Amino acid sequence: MVKMANKKTRGPDKTQANTSDIVVKKLDDATDIVRQPPVFTNDSKYICIASGRQIGIYSVESAEKVHSLEEHTFDVIGLAIKDDNILLSCDASGETIEWNINNGTTLKKAPLVVAGIKEFHSFHYPGNGKVLVATPSTYTTNMSSLWIVDSHTRPRKLFADIKSTPHSIAFGCNQGNGSLVVVALQDHSVVVKDITNGVDKKHMTDQRKFTCVALHSEKLIMATGDISGRILIWHDFVHKSRPVKTVYHWHTLPVNSVCFSSEGEYLYSGGSEKVMVKWRLGMSRKQFLPRMGSSIKYIVNAPDNICVATSHSDNAIRFIDSTNKINRAIIGLVKHDPIRGFADTEPIKESVMPTGLVFDPRSHGIFFNAQAGFLQLFDPQKNSLIFNMDVANRNVLTDERNLVIGNAEVLRVAVSPTGEWLATLEVWSNMSAGYHDMNLKFWRYDAVQANYELNTDVTMPHQDRVTALCFQPGLLGTEMPCLVSIGRDLKFKIWRLVDDTDIYRQKESWSCDVAGDFRKLTPSALSFSEDGSLMAIAFQDTVTLWDPTSINLNTTLSHTLVQEPIELMEFGRDNCFRYLVCASKSALYAWDVISQGLVWKVGQLHSSVRCLVPDPKSCYMAAVLQNSEVFVFSPSSSKPVHSVPKMNSSEPIAALFVPRPNPLASGPEWLINSRLLIVDDQQEFLCVDDVSSAGFNQKLTTPISHMDSLPWTPFSAMKAEKQISAAKQLVPVVHQTSGIQGYKSVQSLLETSASALPPMSRICSLFMSDLMIKHGPKAVTAKVNSVDRTSTDLPLSNGHIDSKTQDFSEETTLQKLLTLDCQWLVETVK
Amino acid sequence: MASFKKTQIRSLPKIGQKVTADTLYWRKLNFPVTVKEFGPIDYIDVMPIEPYFIAVSSAAKVQIYNPITHQVHRHFTRFKEAAYGASIRSDGKLVIAGCDEGHVKLFDIGSKSLLRIFKGHKGPVHRCKFTTDNVHVVSFSDDKSVALWDLPSETEIIKFSEHSDYVRAGCVSSISSDLFLSGSFDHTVKLYDARSPTGSTISVDHGSPVESVLMYPSNSIFVSVGGTELRVWDMLAGGRLLARVSQHHKTITCLHLASDGKRLVTGGLDRHAKIYDVQSYQVVHTLDFPSPVLSLGITPDDFTVVAGMANGLISMQHRQTQAEARALNPKQSLKVQKKSQTAYRFRLNADFRSVNRTFNPATDVEVATKTDTNFVSRYDMFLRKFQYSKALDTVLTPYIRKKKPAITVGVMHELIRRNGLKSALAARDDSSLSSILTFLARNINDPSHANIIIQVANTLLEIYESSSLTPQSEKLFLQLQEHVNREVEYVKHLMEIEGMLHILLASTTTQARRSSTYAVQGSPVKPMLPSAAAAANATMIFNVG
Repeated sequence: MVKMANKKTRGPDKTQANTSDIVVKKLDDATDIVRQPPVFTNDSKYICIASGRQIGIYSVESAEKVHSLEEHTFDVIGLAIKDDNILLSCDASGETIEWNINNGTTLKKAPLVVAGIKEFHSFHYPGNGKVLVATPSTYTTNMSSLWIVDSHTRPRKLFADIKSTPHSIAFGCNQGNGSLVVVALQDHSVVVKDITNGVDKKHMTDQRKFTCVALHSEKLIMATGDISGRILIWHDFVHKSRPVKTVYHWHTLPVNSVCFSSEGEYLYSGGSEKVMVKWRLGMSRKQFLPRMGSSIKYIVNAPDNICVATSHSDNAIRFIDSTNKINRAIIGLVKHDPIRGFADTEPIKESVMPTGLVFDPRSHGIFFNAQAGFLQLFDPQKNSLIFNMDVANRNVLTDERNLVIGNAEVLRVAVSPTGEWLATLEVWSNMSAGYHDMNLKFWRYDAVQANYELNTDVTMPHQDRVTALCFQPGLLGTEMPCLVSIGRDLKFKIWRLVDDTDIYRQKESWSCDVAGDFRKLTPSALSFSEDGSLMAIAFQDTVTLWDPTSINLNTTLSHTLVQEPIELMEFGRDNCFRYLVCASKSALYAWDVISQGLVWKVGQLHSSVRCLVPDPKSCYMAAVLQNSEVFVFSPSSSKPVHSVPKMNSSEPIAALFVPRPNPLASGPEWLINSRLLIVDDQQEFLCVDDVSSAGFNQKLTTPISHMDSLPWTPFSAMKAEKQISAAKQLVPVVHQTSGIQGYKSVQSLLETSASALPPMSRICSLFMSDLMIKHGPKAVTAKVNSVDRTSTDLPLSNGHIDSKTQDFSEETTLQKLLTLDCQWLVETVK
Repeated sequence: MASFKKTQIRSLPKIGQKVTADTLYWRKLNFPVTVKEFGPIDYIDVMPIEPYFIAVSSAAKVQIYNPITHQVHRHFTRFKEAAYGASIRSDGKLVIAGCDEGHVKLFDIGSKSLLRIFKGHKGPVHRCKFTTDNVHVVSFSDDKSVALWDLPSETEIIKFSEHSDYVRAGCVSSISSDLFLSGSFDHTVKLYDARSPTGSTISVDHGSPVESVLMYPSNSIFVSVGGTELRVWDMLAGGRLLARVSQHHKTITCLHLASDGKRLVTGGLDRHAKIYDVQSYQVVHTLDFPSPVLSLGITPDDFTVVAGMANGLISMQHRQTQAEARALNPKQSLKVQKKSQTAYRFRLNADFRSVNRTFNPATDVEVATKTDTNFVSRYDMFLRKFQYSKALDTVLTPYIRKKKPAITVGVMHELIRRNGLKSALAARDDSSLSSILTFLARNINDPSHANIIIQVANTLLEIYESSSLTPQSEKLFLQLQEHVNREVEYVKHLMEIEGMLHILLASTTTQARRSSTYAVQGSPVKPMLPSAAAAANATMIFNVG
């Protein structure tokens, strides 16, 4: 019964209607907050953070976002504080914008004009209207030239062929004559220029490459770090050709950043050891702050010397107070750090975000890799991180100088259809020793604690790599959940929850129920039908269909037309439940599991299919090709309903249909209930969506509030919960809301700047009434009662409460009688 | 900031009997004191009040034992033939016993005098009981009848003759003086109400001759034993069967409640006494006896467990007192004491509570010296400082490596992860090398640790293969090799057996397949069957799992 559909030579058809409405958008790249070093304001109360094209101003006190500045059209390459409350920013196209920090308004826009150069690497502002910009070097790639731009004179080139990283350029003031000193790093040398006096120096050391430089704010002292972990302190380097150097060597890995404290007494340094070292200059004493989570990229000191901010590679900025403790953190979405070989070679493509995107039906979030051994849950509606979860629960180990020490990596994640269970597979391997560990962990969501609790930990679930994990869908409440795993050890295993309760304690744990194999072939893909009644496992080119409850082999499907090993396989959803779509290296085809025949096949694809994702809310399915072409089709036919041409050079890693909270009013059928999210190998999120839906753009304009998840404090209890307003506001879904009276109102009062507030007498009563606990029906009756008591013969015009008032009037007369009686009694007693 | 995470010590759950609260509780029974009687012990009854005298009926006498001294307190021998089912009244003053000639005799324990003889049964009386009001007696006789007697007037009030075989089991309700149960060899258990003289109110079929019956203190459930089965019946639902438990492999002879009615104990001819949880009827513990158990008695405080056996032995076991436990294991009890002291930050001395004493903070308050809530083990301390050799040394002390090998393996695992195993193992002197080697040889057979131990052994060989060794370490290396060879041999044997099983299973499954015609669809896509070996493999693992 093989019904061959139109076999094409150039992939699916691209002629489709209404494609113009569908756009591919890059999802908010505001998530990467550690690309540029953050900048403290002069009063040390706020910190400015560049993230992509945006600039966020955060309060240091609460680590909360105060303003979001979005005017730049290119990525921001540098930030500087010009005056007390003016922020200067520059983007990659050379446009500089001056912002008012207090209210986030734009003051001035001006383009940088440097000899017709259109691309800039980094931006520094030494003061007095002078600007330092690094531009691409004319001859060598990955190197920069440094220019000084002044408002009066022509741009001057200071250095050529310097390193282009932001912390390879430093500037300071020569205290003696007030002249500007600029230093920059080349691979093996430091170049120094005294601008006013025109002194040029070039200092060379040994063969160790420099990584970062910092200048003391008051004295002419320079600190440089190199790849061997050594820090050199240079004294009087402007005038002497052989300056005095002090060596501070604790780091074993390259120093990523050095920073002087603003008084100049201490030096902070950090690197991939995840340790911040605080050196006391001129003494051998040093303090450590170990286990900071991930490697340090930048260290910035606040002008008032009270706190230090460190940017980490896990996309977090942590604030360290004067007692050397982390007390706050700004945490963004973590980019997964793929396993690298020694000395930061190119990451292996396979190891970028190995879990892919996994939808969590409980929170409507997406699970994917965070830093090594961690898993994060991302909310695609709000574009925010819900939580970051430690799966491996091990100390994060740092590399040694000649040794890469790997950490456990989460490779596979599966979520049960109800969201109650989470299965994670973590792997740790030591290639040189030929030793590896594998752990399959089952976590249960605890609704009271609002976190996942480890239920079962299975060591070495398979002898070799696990290819896929999948929970059985469509189970009734009474049935025990079931997970299927397939591995390179030729086995598929079925894990079931076993009730292990006895009279002493209640306990449930997972255990392997069945381990099976098929003709000693390698299982490569796994899929359940939508109702969970059929399990398909692909063994090379053969598809086997099993009954999941009895583990009986129902049928095997194979055909001479499709003899390549199957790489991806998915059952259709909704009314296409009978179709099983398989993707091999160059072909895409579908089986009908009821008639057991090949329905259609599309051969000779441009490149191999990277992801095959079904939409849970409709019958459509999307195939994402390695060259970033996307085809959306219904499994019943080979004709795509929509196709997206090659988007960019990046290669997609994973894709997922994300259900929308509210369906679209109009648009193509496959986009009404969900949109397609794609992640590329740079871990950028792309979204295939309808033009009309602006849901995810809305978020950018409103500042993110973390207040709702803050713990309860006595003061927060005094805040009003909501502000009275006639306009109906969309309340976003908030996780772990602690309901405290009058909270919103206080928040709005605090957030509005004092100058914009109406007179106190106007808002006071509203504010106070917000703080009060309201009891709806009781208040009404009390009111009516009191009215009745004061003037019973007052005619009530309001029709619909008439019946109520009658009752009340009866009551009041009764009360009157009672009081009369009493009076009489009192009188008689008297 | 992330704090240092402790090294994960992986200890796999032990296979075999689980240590539960119950096993610990019942294991505290001391070695039994045994007394030899002439005939099999027919029945044991425990006085419900202190001093918990034990009435034992065997052969032609009834003896009252003191449970503490194990001496005979009283004995009643005024029986012509065998005496049966002696039972003590709830006030502990009177004892009643049936006998072979069909009489029921009542004695005074204090004066040893025979007070009443209830005549009327035509067959031997095996069980007799006082009712709750203490003025009536119920007797269960081999003449297939159950009779209720009035104690003061020595007259028969009512007699039920519904059974068709010997009545050998009976009990009375603890709440109502009118209700009693009888169990007979005709497989039935009947509930009688003295207020309805027409007949039994509930009659249930046990399925085998009933050896003993028991009514729960709540009077809503009763239990019967007979054959190898224990059955639980719901009285309120008119005798609905609630549970059937079969844990003995020979006839169950006796039934008793323990631990304030939370546990049920059955004894059987298979020389075991099983203790059940009364909610789930799961066996929580088993007591073993040298001979078939005929009767059981447990004092209300669980202090003494008495078992009467077929060969005439009475075994009396006492619960270990704290003083005894301390004498037996001084170290452990000291530890327990210490723990209880440090559990509180401040603690008042116990004797301060006595009146007429003034409070003196210097002597009356104990301050805990050390709080070890954030206890960091030594190996973690060294791992934190990256001192790998020292960390390994701390877990190679004889106590840890012998008693807690999981800790040693856990630290070795962490060293492998940190890539520090080589530096930890290198440059070791003879004595520390020998401790590593003995540990490896001892644990290389353990499948739960094998992969890590093998990794360590390989690294060790790599480091020391070229260096000159002392004869002692050389011997240990050879010993390790011998262990490995033995293990390989053993695994070979196992695989041979597995192969044989495969053949057997494959042949049975193919036969089964052949008999059931497997319809193949006539489609161009030929459905494939798993090969015989594959199918066998799948099913076998399924069966094992």
